[in-house]
Amino acid sequence: MKRLVTPAFLVVVCLLGLAELGARVFFSSDITGRFSYGYDPDAGFNEHPDGAVELYRAGGRRFHPQSFMKKRPAGTFRILVVGDSVPRGPSFQAAYPWQLGEELKRRHIRAESINLAVPGYGPRRCQIVLRKILEFDPSLIILHVNDANKWEDEREWRRSREFLGWHPRHWLMKSFIFRRLYEAKLEKVFWRLVPDEIRLKFAQNDADAQVAASRDPVELEARIRLAKETTQENVALVRRQNLPILLITQCRLQGKLPDVQLTDHGLDDLAKRLVAPGVYHLSMKEALGEVPPMSVFSNYSAHLREFGHQFLARKICLLILANREALGVSPGAPAVAGEQPEAGSPRRAAAGRLDDRMPRR
Amino acid sequence: MSFISWQYLIFLPAIIVLYWSLPARWRLALLLGASYFFYGFWDVRFLALVLATTGIDFICGLSIGGQRLGVARVLVLALLPALWLLVCHLFSPSLGVSAALVGFSAGLGIIFVAAHEAIWALVRENRPRCLLILSVVFCLAILGFFKYFGFFVDSAKSVLAAAGFKSDWAGLKIILPVGISFYTFQSLGYVIDIYKGRSPACGDFLTFATFDAFFPQMVAGPIERGRHLIPQLQAGLVFQETYIQDGLRLILTGFFKKVFVADNCAILANYAFDPQTTLNGYWAVMGVVAFAFQIYADFSGYTDIARGSAKLLGIDLVENFKFPYFSHTPSEFWGRWHISLSTWFRDYLYIPLGGNRGARWETLRNLGIVMLLAGLWHGASWIFVLWGAYHGLLLILYRVAPPLAAIREDGLSRQSAWTIPLMAAFTLVGWAIFRSPSLAHLSSWFAALGNWDQSVGLAWRSSMVWLVLHVTPLLLLQMLTWKHRDETSLTGLPWALRGVIYTLMLLLIISSAEHDTEFIYFQF
Repeated sequence: MKRLVTPAFLVVVCLLGLAELGARVFFSSDITGRFSYGYDPDAGFNEHPDGAVELYRAGGRRFHPQSFMKKRPAGTFRILVVGDSVPRGPSFQAAYPWQLGEELKRRHIRAESINLAVPGYGPRRCQIVLRKILEFDPSLIILHVNDANKWEDEREWRRSREFLGWHPRHWLMKSFIFRRLYEAKLEKVFWRLVPDEIRLKFAQNDADAQVAASRDPVELEARIRLAKETTQENVALVRRQNLPILLITQCRLQGKLPDVQLTDHGLDDLAKRLVAPGVYHLSMKEALGEVPPMSVFSNYSAHLREFGHQFLARKICLLILANREALGVSPGAPAVAGEQPEAGSPRRAAAGRLDDRMPRR
Repeated sequence: MSFISWQYLIFLPAIIVLYWSLPARWRLALLLGASYFFYGFWDVRFLALVLATTGIDFICGLSIGGQRLGVARVLVLALLPALWLLVCHLFSPSLGVSAALVGFSAGLGIIFVAAHEAIWALVRENRPRCLLILSVVFCLAILGFFKYFGFFVDSAKSVLAAAGFKSDWAGLKIILPVGISFYTFQSLGYVIDIYKGRSPACGDFLTFATFDAFFPQMVAGPIERGRHLIPQLQAGLVFQETYIQDGLRLILTGFFKKVFVADNCAILANYAFDPQTTLNGYWAVMGVVAFAFQIYADFSGYTDIARGSAKLLGIDLVENFKFPYFSHTPSEFWGRWHISLSTWFRDYLYIPLGGNRGARWETLRNLGIVMLLAGLWHGASWIFVLWGAYHGLLLILYRVAPPLAAIREDGLSRQSAWTIPLMAAFTLVGWAIFRSPSLAHLSSWFAALGNWDQSVGLAWRSSMVWLVLHVTPLLLLQMLTWKHRDETSLTGLPWALRGVIYTLMLLLIISSAEHDTEFIYFQF
């Protein structure tokens, strides 16, 4: 037995064991919910005993790091923004939730605008985030309605199930470092280096199938249907708590110059039908249709340039002001939100009244 | 069952533990049962073919060696395939084994017995030759029917159509049994060796059946010789720690080659050789380089896993690859690539044809015949025949064309740095032939080499990075193992460095763990 375990074998075991142990001991909070891929309701929310809530990147949730008090400070208008990469923006301060805070600040409104958007999140995972943030005493919830990312939602659900499953083919993936390595290779190397056309043609895994799904009319129809269903559920969920909700229906830039156009896949009609007391709607297609598309969209998708985010923030601000009584916005409240954020401090950048606790990540 | 399936990762340790726990006399039975389970996992019906080959060559081997089995025993052995098909017919109707097939199989068994007994009635001097012919005819008939019947029928139809005859008869759709070329050649080699007096006949059916169906190497080699494997199966081995150490090292290297290198290179090769792909020069070259590494890593990876699995059982299988892409000449290449097949053709075909003992033109003729058949062995397609012919031509050119012949004849003194890239380039052209789905695609591959317009086809740079990322670790490994002339041996390196290398290999395997691509040589 002694000779069976060679020094080289011991090196392998020790290296892997130490890496696994180190990850699980020293990065335990990062690992929390890591393999739930966004389906762990609490992942990314660190609630401190003193009532502060810290947002950090964990559990498949790449939140912009921010912090706020769980109970909304009196007289503060708290906006929580839920969505995908579109509201998350190219950077924290370039994204419209931050810009919205700035707009409100300029109008002497004490406000907190928290960006809870996560890239790649589709209707299912957005709904899980939405359920969680109802605990945080919001004044207004902004929910982005989109029909993208359904495939990602389903893939990540499968991944989360696989990791929990008993099947021997997933045993290796129960190791944190093995799983992370596999993910990193797939997402950082394979997706980036191998052209879509090849992945589409020789679909070997989820990533390739995602490319195929994005071009499949049946899948497109299914994801629009899902977006409609979940939006209805989300509105009902929020309204049961007597909270106002603003639906922002996304659109995407399609076509080639000069014949570009904005398409909403029928989401605008859906949201318009849901408008009722406490339910507001802003169509990106209508709002951004006032300016040349190439000045607001960063590419042929739904992603916005910084100017697009500023433009959208202004539109939302005007909508809030137009409904300030119904939304309970205190007129002429002192501009606590008016302080400039410290450079590089995303927590301070969470336009609004921020507590003094520095984020850990 | 595939080596890269999760089932195998449970199957192998279970067999290893059982094997070393059992008394020596039970181990063969375990190995045989495990081997049939391993093969039957793919399709149990085709175990009948394995049984047929085993029965025929066991009987013929003994008879050539001068031992006569009783008619009853010969009959039972010859009817084993029919009995197995009967079991399938009775207990698993969903397999679709008809009573007619059972009857047909039994009829063939009876014909074999009759022929065998008739040969025994001949004069003693003629018997061995006739028994050898009987074995070769039956085994090659099985191989020919399952592997080449469709090919010859299609070719005949094409010829008839070209000659203006109507040829719209429907062909049979025949499933190619996994590994049939490998175990048929292994079994034939055993009988020929007995005929040539190079090895004795195996008198124990259990041992011979295990030799014929030994699961680590049954479906894709290495093709073993009876005189090498049978004595190891018969020896009552005592467990040694080195079996586990060496076995695990080989298996790890095999998985690294297969999962990390081959399967990732396959992504680009499959695209480049897809009939619908528009190629330019960059993609033509990148595609064939990717395929060269894919097929090498795939097949040598399989061999490493096979050798490692056997080593865990205390059994050594022959080496099949020795840095083939570092060859100077075609002869050297075939001495480094699929060595067990090359030596099989050398010993059982090239030398019996006369080898290089005759006139110069006879040697060249023999080389041509052997390589044509080696090409056909790889698959029932004209593409493989062309590939074999191409390699035959290369072997001939390196003997007759002055600058190339000088490399071969003068040996190391004329072999310099440029001879390896030259041979590698020749090999790549060969792989382009081998991988092309049709002659039309092959011509478009050659045409693409004259078109370096980057606007044609996909951007190639990022894919090139992908290829380099997956080939570089393999080349680094080869640099480290080159000194010992063994592709998997890291002996001589400090244990700490070996540990780090093994860890890196394991991590690279894990990083590509969810590809489920079958081994290329399974189809042969």
